[in-house]
Amino acid sequence: MTSRRYAVLPAGRPAEFPPDARARIERILSRYPTKQAALLPVLWVAQETWGWISREAAEEVARILELSPAHVSGVLTFYTMYNLEPVGRHLLQFCTSISCHLAGAGGLLEHCRRRLGIDLGQTTADGRFTMVEVECIAGCDRAPSMMIDDAYHEPMDPSKLDALLESLP
Amino acid sequence: MSAPAPPAPAAPPPPKKDTLTIVFDGKPIEVPPGINLIEAAKLAGIEIPHFCFHPRLSVVGQCRMCLVEIEGIPKIQAACTTPIKDGLAVKTTTQKVRESRAANMEFLLINHPLDCPICDQAGECKLQDNAFGYGEQRSRYDERKRQYAGYDRTAIGPHVVADMTRCIQCTRCIRFCQEIAGTGELTFLDRGGRTLVWTHDGKPLANDWSACAADVCPVGALTTKEFRFRRRVWDLKKTPSVCPGCNIGCNISIEDRDSVVYRFLPRLNPAVNDYWLCDYGRFLSESLNAREISKATVREGSDVRDAIVPAAVERIASEIRSTIETDGPSAIFFLGSAHLSNEENFLLRKIADHIGCGNRDVVVDRSRVRRMKSKTEWIEGDHAGANYAGARDMGLSPGPGGHGLTDVLEGRWIPQIVVVADASFAAAADDAEKVGRLRGARFLAVAARTANSLTRAADVVLPAASLAQKEGSFTNVQGRVQWFQRAFLPPPPARAHWELLLLLGVALGWGDRNWTPAAVRTQIREEVEGYDEVTEQELAGGGLMKKGLFVSTGAV
Amino acid sequence: MKSEPVLLARVGRERSQAIDTYLADGGYETLRKVLTGGWTPEAVTEEVKKSGLRGRGGAGFPTGVKWGFVPKDTKGKPVYLLCNADESEPGTFKDRLLMEEDPHQMLEGQILSAFALRCHTSYVYIRGEFFHGARVLQRAIDEAYEKGFLGENILGSGFSHDVTVHRGAGAYICGEETGLIESLEGKRGQPRVKPPFPAVVGVFGAPTIVNNVETLCCVTHVLKRGADWFAKIGRNEKNSGPKLYCLSGHVNRPGVYEAPMGLQMKELLFGDDYGRGMKDGRKVKAVIPGGASAAMLTAGEIEDCPLDFDGLAAKKSMLGSAAIIVMNEDTCIVDAATNLAKFFSHESCGQCTPCREGTPWLHRVLSRIEAGEGRAEDVELLEKISNQMGNGITLCVFADAAIAPVLSSIGKFRDEYRYHVENKRCLVGPRAAVEAVTA
Ligand SMILES: Cc1cc2nc3c(=O)[nH]c(=O)nc-3n(C[C@H](O)[C@H](O)[C@H](O)COP(=O)(O)O)c2cc1C
Ligand code: SF4
Ligand code: SF4
Ligand code: SF4
Ligand code: FES
Ligand code: FES
Repeated sequence: MTSRRYAVLPAGRPAEFPPDARARIERILSRYPTKQAALLPVLWVAQETWGWISREAAEEVARILELSPAHVSGVLTFYTMYNLEPVGRHLLQFCTSISCHLAGAGGLLEHCRRRLGIDLGQTTADGRFTMVEVECIAGCDRAPSMMIDDAYHEPMDPSKLDALLESLP
Repeated sequence: MSAPAPPAPAAPPPPKKDTLTIVFDGKPIEVPPGINLIEAAKLAGIEIPHFCFHPRLSVVGQCRMCLVEIEGIPKIQAACTTPIKDGLAVKTTTQKVRESRAANMEFLLINHPLDCPICDQAGECKLQDNAFGYGEQRSRYDERKRQYAGYDRTAIGPHVVADMTRCIQCTRCIRFCQEIAGTGELTFLDRGGRTLVWTHDGKPLANDWSACAADVCPVGALTTKEFRFRRRVWDLKKTPSVCPGCNIGCNISIEDRDSVVYRFLPRLNPAVNDYWLCDYGRFLSESLNAREISKATVREGSDVRDAIVPAAVERIASEIRSTIETDGPSAIFFLGSAHLSNEENFLLRKIADHIGCGNRDVVVDRSRVRRMKSKTEWIEGDHAGANYAGARDMGLSPGPGGHGLTDVLEGRWIPQIVVVADASFAAAADDAEKVGRLRGARFLAVAARTANSLTRAADVVLPAASLAQKEGSFTNVQGRVQWFQRAFLPPPPARAHWELLLLLGVALGWGDRNWTPAAVRTQIREEVEGYDEVTEQELAGGGLMKKGLFVSTGAV
Repeated sequence: MKSEPVLLARVGRERSQAIDTYLADGGYETLRKVLTGGWTPEAVTEEVKKSGLRGRGGAGFPTGVKWGFVPKDTKGKPVYLLCNADESEPGTFKDRLLMEEDPHQMLEGQILSAFALRCHTSYVYIRGEFFHGARVLQRAIDEAYEKGFLGENILGSGFSHDVTVHRGAGAYICGEETGLIESLEGKRGQPRVKPPFPAVVGVFGAPTIVNNVETLCCVTHVLKRGADWFAKIGRNEKNSGPKLYCLSGHVNRPGVYEAPMGLQMKELLFGDDYGRGMKDGRKVKAVIPGGASAAMLTAGEIEDCPLDFDGLAAKKSMLGSAAIIVMNEDTCIVDAATNLAKFFSHESCGQCTPCREGTPWLHRVLSRIEAGEGRAEDVELLEKISNQMGNGITLCVFADAAIAPVLSSIGKFRDEYRYHVENKRCLVGPRAAVEAVTA
């Protein structure tokens, strides 16, 4: 898997949650006995708001939840689903774990790589697609399984993928 | 059916023990409750190698180095996380234990650069020690070692340099910043084999105790900028001392070689600074090497001439004698110092007493509040001198009807003679107005190591020792009397302040040239209230609270 | 013969997720019976104990016994129930189905379990990738609140309960129960030192029970039809109840199948109601019976192999999450082991030295052998590294899981490893086939 450089998150715009996101955060906070427990859900709100989590966004979350920014960085980098840099309009997530591997996930990945001309962790020049590799996403009976953004597409094969890549905006 | 037998009298409950018995490798030993197996083993004289365990940080069981076998448990156990129980039988030398230690060392070394010869930690590296003691000679790892481009040899704060290629991910530094400093600048980033320690977004590690993160680091992953590559640690000699930075009086080791001080390290004292030092105090070490006053000087008219020390002292004595004759002893002012030891301040006060002079004082030099975490509580210090309390205890306050420093500085009283026992640190020393007031005296004598406007204004200047160059005791803000020892001699003709003061006393007809600080302490015990139990043994063992003060319980 | 499905009874029906269809099928009647029919929490726990229900998350610990570990006196602390919906073990996909298709079945079990534990707040820790599952579940929870099955004073019983869906964000280790607890607290999901066990000190410093999705679904049925009914299903009373099996790999019909606990492996692979045999008529080479963490079995070992806790323990493997991954004769074992090692190297949390350093090392050596650059001593080296990581010397059992595929594949297919090292290529598999053609 590609390893990411974490310590210096690229700077984004000053991060202030829009009112509806603020309201969501308040609702989230009401479900937990500590503010810290809301960290993962609030980071999700941040990602849904901006598409990725910038340094400023991480600091804003730290401020709201009264955590040290270092704690937020530590958590952000532990999990794989928070985008630490801007990603393309569509995030192509290829499962390469065992069942998908047995079903030819490697070939599918290679096909996509060639078609888009990018490598794992990269974004196409037109900003449409970012390719990443993920571990088993619980779609093993419909292998090879993949997710595009937050939806499953399974089983996947090169021609289906081509059609999808065409149709996505 | 026969009647049930009367219940047997309940066996008397076994006497409650305040200690637990643990059997280490067949040898039983009594240990106090509340410690863990690593500490208990230490009491039994057995070393259980470990990296992540630190007595004052939370127990995380992460490094897996401290594995031992426990009778009745099939699986090998981490000593640091095993709750201790009476009767536990622990085996630390079995084949299984030896193998698991060797295995762990191999894992730790596969990604560790093998460049001890150029590592700053060499000599005090737990990895190096344990590899030697518990590792195997040969590793089977010949893959590419992990690189941390951008995270090697980088300053992550004003004092601390990080090199992640050396990190063994023990999290001690993270826990220090979180649990002791309370600032939480450090964190793990990423996970698995890519885990590294860093700050959020490269923000500086800049709490008041940041260099302690380097102290707790068992390897050379965090080091201090100030010390990096200056000396190989095994070249250095350690001397127990007390930090000169403030009146908390943290216990330090002065490390020197060839009479040059290279660094201060914390010296464990659970009742004061525990394992810690603040950055301010720690990095005063370099200041001990300054020497600007290396000879005695005497002003003759507009000339300043070199003199031998006894002659310069005699000059002060003769000025005092003649002033006593013309104006009486109350025309003389003795100024002690919070930077001088109890012994020195005591001698100064005794000299004043001897000539019947009640004009004596000590400079009040308030600093910003410094905080230090003892084992049990936070201590605050607010004086720039380590011995403000001791100087007062030794009687350096105006006697009945006597004058004090403010009388002089505010111009209410102009003494004929001013004797400043230590001019090196006094805040007054570079304040032109205050110097002017002191200089208002007909005759001004000072002892000093570094030059300043006060030494330049003085009629007689005596060359004095640094903290590293003398022995004595300080009394801290808690009322704890603590001993510091001499690391090396002052360069002749400079002498310890107490020696200079003793010369002056003898010249004025009081005291004995053969007295040592220990001899002076005997007198302090007899004469100064609260100090009668401050014996030499007590001083050697971490200091003692002077009598009448609350001794905080819980402190070891 | 295939028995009536219990856990999957409603799966595949129209609008199976909606509360009205669930109610029409008798849903929440069990909850009403227990909450308003004079049951005590102790009686519920007792019933679950009697059923022999063992946790479906991987370890197979008896559920009622685990509940019994919550201290009687909690010293004023609340008790928490956490539903483990992190389902990340490669090969496992049953919890996703249960949540996406029949969320109320799980929710009813969760409320019943909470009642037994005197717990007023529970969370569903669902893996981040289950966007859809989380939405379905949230809708079900909202419905349950509307109908008074959640919230204050449920069905007038005086019992109150709140459920919150908590989404993970991509970390397998958060399926380990103390990693899950740390993650729920807003931290890195690094497993904790045990003891104390979660039942005594868990999330937010309070007694906590973690149960798998399928386990909670089973609780619904134990209380619906009684412990005796449940205990009679399955091979024996220690391996009881209906069970979901996740079948994937080289079979004709992969999928989630329900059968009484103890289904024969051969039946699952070849039975008409199940896998319907190997794809393209190839032969079985190896089967992983319980997810990536379980030791592989050879074709010989799957003869007379009941798929339950004790049946697989007897074969020195485990039921784990009941993820049966089938590999045919063309599969390169070294390649499969390399893939599994990649997973564990990527997912180690990194706090324990042997696991942090050992998992990438295993992956590197395996990749090297797979790439045809193996050395004579490499196989022995893999075994040595594995032995140095295992036997419970780490904070959690992840490290033991990581070595299971390596040790078992070497142990059972040593010749293949040897061939790989000596000939710098596969004995079988696509690469060997390609080479055979081009040679
Ligand atoms: C590395 C690791 C990963 C695990 N992942 C899961 C998981 O994804 N889902 C799950 O229910 N249990 C998982 N478990 C098991 C849990 O720790 C725990 O035993 C289980 O959730 C308890 O529920 P049960 O008693 O209902 O089975 C995992 C355990 C380990 C060691
Ligand atoms: S930097 Fe040092 S103290 Fe910190 S985790 Fe690494 S080895 Fe441990
Ligand atoms: S707190 Fe005071 S005594 Fe302690 S190290 Fe800092 S300056 Fe020195
Ligand atoms: S065994 Fe591995 S996954 Fe488990 S706590 Fe240790 S490092 Fe983390
Ligand atoms: S292995 Fe790809 S979804 Fe499970
Ligand atoms: S000292 Fe025990 S695990 Fe590190």
